[in-house]
Amino acid sequence: MHSPVKQFTIEVLYELSLFGFDISFTNSALFMVLAVIVSTLFLAVAMRPAAVVPGRLQSAAEMMYEFVADMVRSNVGSEGRPYFPFIFTLFVFVLFSNLLGMLPYSYTTTSQIIVTFAMASFIFVAVTLIGLIKHGLHFFSFFVPAGAPKPLYPLIILIEVVSYFVRPVSLSVRLFANMLAGHTMLKVFAGLAVMMAGAGGVTAAGSLLPLLAIIGLTGLEFLVAALQAYVFTILTCMYLNDALHLH
Amino acid sequence: MYSVKYQSFVKSAVIAAVSFAPSVVLAAGGKESKGGLPQLDLTTWPTQIFWLIVTFAIAYVLMSRLVTPKIGSVLENRASKIASDLESAKAADAEAKATFDSYEKALSDARNEAAAQAAAAMAEAKANAQASEEALAKKLGTKIKKAEAKLADMRSEAMENLEDIAADAASQAVQQLAGIKATKAVLGKHIKNAAKTVAPQEAN
Repeated sequence: MHSPVKQFTIEVLYELSLFGFDISFTNSALFMVLAVIVSTLFLAVAMRPAAVVPGRLQSAAEMMYEFVADMVRSNVGSEGRPYFPFIFTLFVFVLFSNLLGMLPYSYTTTSQIIVTFAMASFIFVAVTLIGLIKHGLHFFSFFVPAGAPKPLYPLIILIEVVSYFVRPVSLSVRLFANMLAGHTMLKVFAGLAVMMAGAGGVTAAGSLLPLLAIIGLTGLEFLVAALQAYVFTILTCMYLNDALHLH
Repeated sequence: MYSVKYQSFVKSAVIAAVSFAPSVVLAAGGKESKGGLPQLDLTTWPTQIFWLIVTFAIAYVLMSRLVTPKIGSVLENRASKIASDLESAKAADAEAKATFDSYEKALSDARNEAAAQAAAAMAEAKANAQASEEALAKKLGTKIKKAEAKLADMRSEAMENLEDIAADAASQAVQQLAGIKATKAVLGKHIKNAAKTVAPQEAN
């Protein structure tokens, strides 16, 4: 039986290197490229009619746009407008990576901690820089909550600083762990079903149970795929809001 | 002198480049691990970070240059179309209201005029009728007077003739009965007296 985590193995499809770094084109890279192509094609084809009264596809594309636009508007405000294209790209990229991972024999790029951590650390550093540029040294008042009693300052500031620097970790691990756990669980139940079916007799009939569980879990995984894309995006909006408006 | 747009682009690029630093540091310190999760095999990290940066950058350019402006313009067009349609509907409504008002006004004007004309015609007709009635009454009055006068003439004439006839008849009757020749003068006197006693009765 295959290991349930074997599905996450990186396989080199085409070897490449740059300045001594290994930048081979892998299955992970292939599905990142596919996520970009599929999402762009979907949105471009859906918006092709550009009708005043939209059809089904166009409505779906517009709903995605308005969903992210509302998210930015309500969480960041009007100052978030310049960052809307980035946040929209982030949502679409994570959503399509998650959903493409649900196809059989495909690869889930967001189940790689390095991919989610690269995105989360990028967001963390960028948001911090935006805050520093906008507020200067006043940005550090972010770590001092208003109205806290003075004697507690050292403790509170320590907690605030730690919780701030944990952000990229929690943001990346949340997405990575959800994808890892979901896909591993599907493989575990699938392996169980195959094992029970191979055993014969009453156990073979019982293999129906893990099979039914897979059906339920697949539905759940689709929900998780969309939900985690949303959570990743809305947390980015909140971090951006903190940087732009402090407390 | 840099343009403002160029400056903001440079600023964004610097922010983006610095923000990738943690990933690059991670990638540079890659070590191979044996067993365990494939995710923790650090030798796969540089290629993943490289392709993530490439694909995400392309996605960002596509979304910010192509997709979001397209969807945004469609949404904006729809909003402005709805707004302009609403405005023209409002204008049409006001126009319809004005037309209705002027129609109402024309109708009431016509009604008032018709009523005035009818009243005038009625008054004229009444006056005409009264005038012709009066004229007729006058004409009939003169005719009646004339006829009455003529009647009175004829009556007095007839009375005179009646006296003569009566005198003739009386003289002949006297002659034949008594063989006396009565003179007209005597007879006339008697007849006149008789007529005087009869005449008032007849006149009634």
